[in-house]
Amino acid sequence: MTFIHFVEGPLVWIAFLTFLFGSALRLLLFFALSSKKDKSIYRYFSFKWMMFSIIRWLFPFNLDLKKNPIFSTLGYIFHICILTVPLFYSAHITLWEESRLKWKWWTMPDHWADSMTLIVLAVTLFFIIRRIVLPSVRIITTTTDFFLLVICALPFLTGYLNAHPDGGAYQWLTSVFPIYGRYNTIIHIMSGALMLILIPFTKLSHWILFFVSRSVTGMEFGKRGYTV
Amino acid sequence: MAEPQYPEIAINPEAVRQAVNDRMNARLKMWMRICAHCGLCADTCHFYLAKNKDPKMVPAYKAQKLKELVKKKGRVDEKYLQSLYDIAFGECTVCRRCTMYCPFGIDTALIINTIRSILTSQGMAPKGLQDAINNYQETGNQMAISQEDWIETLKWMEEELQEELPGAQIPIDKKGANIMYTVNAREPKFYPQDIQLAAKIFHVVGEDWTLPSKMGWDVTNLAMFAGDFKTAGYLVGLIKEAAEALQVKRVVLTE
Repeated sequence: MTFIHFVEGPLVWIAFLTFLFGSALRLLLFFALSSKKDKSIYRYFSFKWMMFSIIRWLFPFNLDLKKNPIFSTLGYIFHICILTVPLFYSAHITLWEESRLKWKWWTMPDHWADSMTLIVLAVTLFFIIRRIVLPSVRIITTTTDFFLLVICALPFLTGYLNAHPDGGAYQWLTSVFPIYGRYNTIIHIMSGALMLILIPFTKLSHWILFFVSRSVTGMEFGKRGYTV
Repeated sequence: MAEPQYPEIAINPEAVRQAVNDRMNARLKMWMRICAHCGLCADTCHFYLAKNKDPKMVPAYKAQKLKELVKKKGRVDEKYLQSLYDIAFGECTVCRRCTMYCPFGIDTALIINTIRSILTSQGMAPKGLQDAINNYQETGNQMAISQEDWIETLKWMEEELQEELPGAQIPIDKKGANIMYTVNAREPKFYPQDIQLAAKIFHVVGEDWTLPSKMGWDVTNLAMFAGDFKTAGYLVGLIKEAAEALQVKRVVLTE
């Protein structure tokens, strides 16, 4: 098996399975430890406050939107784009259709995907600059924070370049690094796989732990009559 | 340079490591992992705002210290613990305002209280809190008032009250009363008139109330602020026991 075949086949499987089982394991580990050391969560379990807290913060009904409108809005836009583009980009769906699973679902127009990808890249740049410029954010920023921002942006950057081979950026890149032109798809797949693999092991696991964390705080604050 | 407020201690790395591990529950571990370092908590902190936006006052920065402490596995020195002491007891009031603005709902106050708890377990609680904890453990109240003194103070206040309001009482250990009243131990110690004033109101409205003669009348819980949860739980237990022994309908908490 050549390296290209490995990336196109087993690596994609490894990435998806690591992402799914790793995330599931994160949940499992939380419940295993909390059943011993966080018994108060279960004693005061409340479905009402759990849902209230999750919905309030999953959608823009929360306090931060008033306090930090620009950053909060960009945060929402960033998350919407980063989730929908990979899931509904037409070329991705074609691959699902061609796969042994033969899955197929709604696709977004390509010009949407283009604009949303550019938005992801622009907001990532904004986040990086914000981390450097604001003293209150710089002090809590670690190397990993920059690293993960880049890791999340790479699939979008390579995806955009590869979708526009006639564009100036692609032409320039391949003239400087001809190897990129030969392996453009492989590099794009690898960047996506890297992001998926890293999710369970880094703060990116918040995609699933967000719901747990919001629930436990929401239930306690709701019970005490605080702002949830 | 400010002198440390706790007595000199010998640091036992194994004990520190154990104290940290014992307190790391599933929530704390999750929060250490998912904090995105977004900085939305910064301008919710009154220390941050009051200290002219000093980045060291950002709640997430203070909370990161617990992660650091876990990583150190007990390999800490006096200077490091002193820096934690300054943050946990001096730069956070555990008010939870940052929690209300955290998109993940990370309870920074609980994280800081965990650091407090670890320090207290190593003999590094602020002297005032540690003295109160010792008093609680010996006498059930933070001012180390003996049962004799407590009853005598109540009798004295009742006598004074009766000069003004004949027939008014400060009922002690009255079984089946509607209300068991509790006080801050500073009242019998320094401001006994406060109890008299409460008794006056109870008399005028005709309330059926009482005060326990045994432990369980001090409603303050300074052990909680030091993160000494064993003593904190003991104190709440004292109030519950007193209320159950007197078979009262309600307990009035005045703090």
